[in-house]
Amino acid sequence: MTNQRYFATPALVLAVMLAAVSGAVAESGPAESSDESLRILPGDFALTHPESRQRIVVEKLRGEQFVGEVRDECQLQSSDESVVKIASGVAIPVGNGRATISAREGQRKASVAVSVSGQENEHVWSFRNHVESVLSKCGCNSGACHGARAGKNGFRLTLFGFDLDADYSYLTRQAIGRRIVPADPGRSLLLTKPTGTIPHKGGIRFEPDSLEYRVLAEWIAAGAPGPRPDDRVIERLEVFPKYSQQQLGGRQQLLVQAHFSDGYVEDVTRWAKYTTVNSSVASVSDSGEVQIAGSGEGGAKVWYLNLSELAFLSVPYPGMVAPEVYAQADRRTFIDEHLLRKLQSLNLPPAARADDATFLRRAFLDTVGILPTVDETVRFLCDNDADKRERLVESLLARPEFVDYWAYRWSDLLLITGDHLRPKAVETYYQWLRTKVAANTPWDQLVREIITASGSTHEYGPANFFALHQDPETMAETTAQAFLGLSINCARCHNHPLEKWTNDQYYGFANLFSRVRSKGWGGDYRSGDGLRVVFSDTQGELLQPSKGKPQPPRPLDGQPIPFERTTDRRIELADWLTSSANPYFARSITNRIWANFFGVGLVEKVDDMRITNPASNESLLAAASQFLVDHQFDLKELMRAILNSAAYQRSSESVPGNASDDRFYSRYYPRRLKAEILLDAMSAATGVPTEFKNAENKPYAAETRALQLPDASVDSYFLKTFGRPERLITCDCERSDEPSMPQVLHLLNGTTLNGKLQASNGRIHTWLESAAGPESIVKELYLAALSRYPTPEEELRLTSVLAGALADPANANERRQLLEDLVWSVLSSREFLFNH
Amino acid sequence: MLRITDHGSAHTCDGILRRDFLEIGSLSAIGLTLPQLLAAQARAAESSSQPDDGRSAIMIFNLGAPSQIDTFDPKPDAAAEIRGPFQPITTRSADIQLTEILPHHAQHADKFSLVRSCFHTAAAVHDTGHQMLQTGRLFTGGLNTPHVGCALAYLKGRRSDLPPHVILPEPMGRTGGNLPHGQDAGFLGKAFDPLALMADPSKPNFKVPDLLPPEQIGDVRLDRRRKLKSLVEESMQRFESSQNAKLLESNFETAYRIMTSPQARDAFDLSKEPPAIREKYGMNRFGQCCLLARRLIEAGVRFVTINTFITVFDEITWDIHGSKPFTSIEGMKNIVAPMYDQAYGALLEELHERGMLQRTLVCNLAEFGRTPRVNPAGGRDHWPQCFTCYFAGGGVQGGRVIGRSDPIGGYPAERPVEPSEVVATIYHALGIDLETTLSGPAGRPFPVVDFGKHEIKELFQA
Repeated sequence: MTNQRYFATPALVLAVMLAAVSGAVAESGPAESSDESLRILPGDFALTHPESRQRIVVEKLRGEQFVGEVRDECQLQSSDESVVKIASGVAIPVGNGRATISAREGQRKASVAVSVSGQENEHVWSFRNHVESVLSKCGCNSGACHGARAGKNGFRLTLFGFDLDADYSYLTRQAIGRRIVPADPGRSLLLTKPTGTIPHKGGIRFEPDSLEYRVLAEWIAAGAPGPRPDDRVIERLEVFPKYSQQQLGGRQQLLVQAHFSDGYVEDVTRWAKYTTVNSSVASVSDSGEVQIAGSGEGGAKVWYLNLSELAFLSVPYPGMVAPEVYAQADRRTFIDEHLLRKLQSLNLPPAARADDATFLRRAFLDTVGILPTVDETVRFLCDNDADKRERLVESLLARPEFVDYWAYRWSDLLLITGDHLRPKAVETYYQWLRTKVAANTPWDQLVREIITASGSTHEYGPANFFALHQDPETMAETTAQAFLGLSINCARCHNHPLEKWTNDQYYGFANLFSRVRSKGWGGDYRSGDGLRVVFSDTQGELLQPSKGKPQPPRPLDGQPIPFERTTDRRIELADWLTSSANPYFARSITNRIWANFFGVGLVEKVDDMRITNPASNESLLAAASQFLVDHQFDLKELMRAILNSAAYQRSSESVPGNASDDRFYSRYYPRRLKAEILLDAMSAATGVPTEFKNAENKPYAAETRALQLPDASVDSYFLKTFGRPERLITCDCERSDEPSMPQVLHLLNGTTLNGKLQASNGRIHTWLESAAGPESIVKELYLAALSRYPTPEEELRLTSVLAGALADPANANERRQLLEDLVWSVLSSREFLFNH
Repeated sequence: MLRITDHGSAHTCDGILRRDFLEIGSLSAIGLTLPQLLAAQARAAESSSQPDDGRSAIMIFNLGAPSQIDTFDPKPDAAAEIRGPFQPITTRSADIQLTEILPHHAQHADKFSLVRSCFHTAAAVHDTGHQMLQTGRLFTGGLNTPHVGCALAYLKGRRSDLPPHVILPEPMGRTGGNLPHGQDAGFLGKAFDPLALMADPSKPNFKVPDLLPPEQIGDVRLDRRRKLKSLVEESMQRFESSQNAKLLESNFETAYRIMTSPQARDAFDLSKEPPAIREKYGMNRFGQCCLLARRLIEAGVRFVTINTFITVFDEITWDIHGSKPFTSIEGMKNIVAPMYDQAYGALLEELHERGMLQRTLVCNLAEFGRTPRVNPAGGRDHWPQCFTCYFAGGGVQGGRVIGRSDPIGGYPAERPVEPSEVVATIYHALGIDLETTLSGPAGRPFPVVDFGKHEIKELFQA
């Protein structure tokens, strides 16, 4: 019973389209746009047994783009009701033969060919493909119910059916065979419980007159045939429409087809499970109907028999933006084309170009984490050269502070903290990292050195990766999270419920680390010397708990390594990890770099790169990742392309129509400075450095900036309150840049800022000593803190406040306090606290 | 730019005015539609013009999750490996038996009622239970639902100079799941997040970090700084569409209000309590948080959330797995129960004596229960299938038992109660209509509890 696979070949599609278009052109009246046509999804199809069904969706097409479903206005018709008929949007086979189904909406038409065969055959539901899908669709094998480790009420199924033989045994061999009663299917617990005929704590999952009931009942009546080695096995899912543009308030029925190993294709729309990817854009019902809620990029995740697919939904923002706006918009690097294309598809206008002062401050903060000095600011603002911004970018990438900033960011990622490593280990790890950043070591090489590190933790920095993570599971999970942006933790106990990673793959991956050992314990993080000598053993395996045997070591879905090979498995892991063919590696680091400059990643959260968490602009992420690969993972190249792009240099001021955009970069998104940057900026603006003490309570060198601290455990109420990460878990979420009440109270009343204002050295002291006048004070303060000149209005406002008091020679105290209050007011303003 | 003050009147934006609780920029900027704007206006007007109903709530969240069998739901007739080491004791209520480790609770059993048939079906990790018991829902699809106290702050605003919702001593930390705990305002936005104390009120010289300006900066300078800051802050248009920038401003306003209000400052000043009272609650973090909660409610805070513990990892909590680093049933008896029991007893007694109990709901929640069978390490593990929550005050009739667990405390036998019903009960006690809607993502109306979920009526019926 081989079934020919019918699918919409390009030729067929074109034929259908032409037919639709020519029909439309011939008959269309003035009221209809001639570039819109109809398409019947899923295209031509076959119904090959009596239970075959195919849901049909009539979709509008504008050019190449699906733009929404046509429903009530549309009539569907079968050309031969003795072959196939249509009921409630579903094609039902009647008798063998061929027919066409056509749709008509006003003057527009479309049709598809239907082939019906095998109607004389008896249909037997398959355990693998139908019974299991009912158990999944109805929630029976979910984690909250019988899919839990211990099952429920003595009945256990494997989570989402990941072990068919086990499930078959649970259903047919246990409970004294009461779960299945072949002689009288209706008495089977499998039917009486979920219909509520017998009390069921899980409630009523389906009704006796439902298809689900019929599938299970007929399967039982057929003798409950189990999974067979020659069963057709599902290979992939196809979802229709995969990409569509929708309108606010619109509805879209999705279709899902399953493609099997023998070429067979089945409509599984009624069996699949649906979840929304972004609920602020769309919701999706259990039957696969999408309801559009808001503008932006959304999607629906479709799950069937342990495979997932995504349907992408793009909802333009309301309003009108003329095409010239995009045609004429600034384009400077490859980034801009991708970005503008997305803005245009969403109807979001780009903001204007940021002025020089704004760009100067922004680029300094995002690239090197410091403010420009007064001199640097004046020089840049007075420079009339057309390419001064490009030259600024070059100079920033070459500054020594670049090393401080990026060594700090990567220390966050690698968890370098005295809370988990002894002082000597912290120093070794941090210094090694600094050296790498200073040498602009390509990212793939840096990661390779970490993953394959062996040696003494006191001498070779990256060996500390294996001091921080001491068991193979933790090493595997951290590697995946830090360098691939993937969280595989759930697969530790069962197949990952949200992703494609299986329990087998998890243990195959972890087994790559099973031979990493160390001589010497080094104590724990509170005591001992932290000296471990890491090496790779030539034997040893990690047992997979559920099977009691090791999985062949293999990097996730890469090639397995033979057990008996004795070379360091981490070398092959590093090859796979950093390969330009690895779909996750380049994307993950690209997304992190992107988020550093734009404040919001193309994928959010930055380290949540799941298939089912799509990027806000996939073509841009793909292009940027490829760019990085093409440049041998030289991060500075990517930074250069970002800094020089028109996108990065956009103002944060919204224009009509883009104020609610927070994902597509139509404007720059203001964000609070990171804790360390803010503290350093306050030190620079006041001219009073912060004193930091190390774990032994000894002060760091004078004028050490927060970004130069090698250790996140350095005591600082300010840094802790303003969201410095603790570096205890590999998660971007550790750092918070959001404002909070304790932060504000600390700015108002705390010792950090007030201490700098009251210090006997620093900028205020210099002003008083030199008897500076009000104008020069205000100018200098604005240049130092806000990297711009005050406007004439601002200057007037503030100098008039200062003038009286400063002129009075008698009250030195009063002068001092007024200056402190003035500086306070600037350093607590949004313009200072935010990067905009 | 339109500004709406608490007094329901609008001002145009010339001059420097004190910015009050709600400030609206251009409508599109923060996604408000006109109906929502008017609703916000109405709410702001209502909160000041109508007499407040004076209802408040204290939520005591027993992070770690107490073992129901060893505390509120003893099973003296079950096998030894199930009933555990404790004997049941009688209490002031004929219907309630507790275990011997809760003698203070026994004294006040006429004031609280137990719900012994709570359960949930989410994963048995701490974080999911935190979400469900504090917001009524499990977070899915990227949607973070708000804590009931934050929803209250959104619906009713503040009642005094203090923020409407305060968390003591600080928000929940690491409990192993890396998921949000549901202790903030979620999709309502950070403007409705609670104020967290971030300090331990049992420490000597306790004060709220940075609550008051340093001595050299008196009220005059404080005021001058505030004026100068307004001068410096031109209304930078680029910040109008930044939620965080708006939040920052609103935080400043809240800070000024708290700092300059003697009532607010006093509320946090535990030195104003006689030492005997402080001792009555117990000089430990939880005890002093309970005392502070009473003071905050008296000072006008609407909702106080007390986290009995903050993390299961660095402290001994209810999470009695038995194996290191967790403690066992014995450890709970010696370390956890006494301080918890004493503090709760003191709180109920004081609320009662001060006539506050009628209008103050005190609810004690947990994220799940614990396994009926004691494990080999002498502890019990996670068990969301059956646990106990209890309620006092706010219209709750005390001394009752609602719902029943089966003979081994494994499953509800009667009247199973879902987390959404627990949260509905809290809303009900606060006088919030269960069909009230919040402004959800993309502005869609979001009911405070799912349709069809009701408060546990048996708690309130006369």
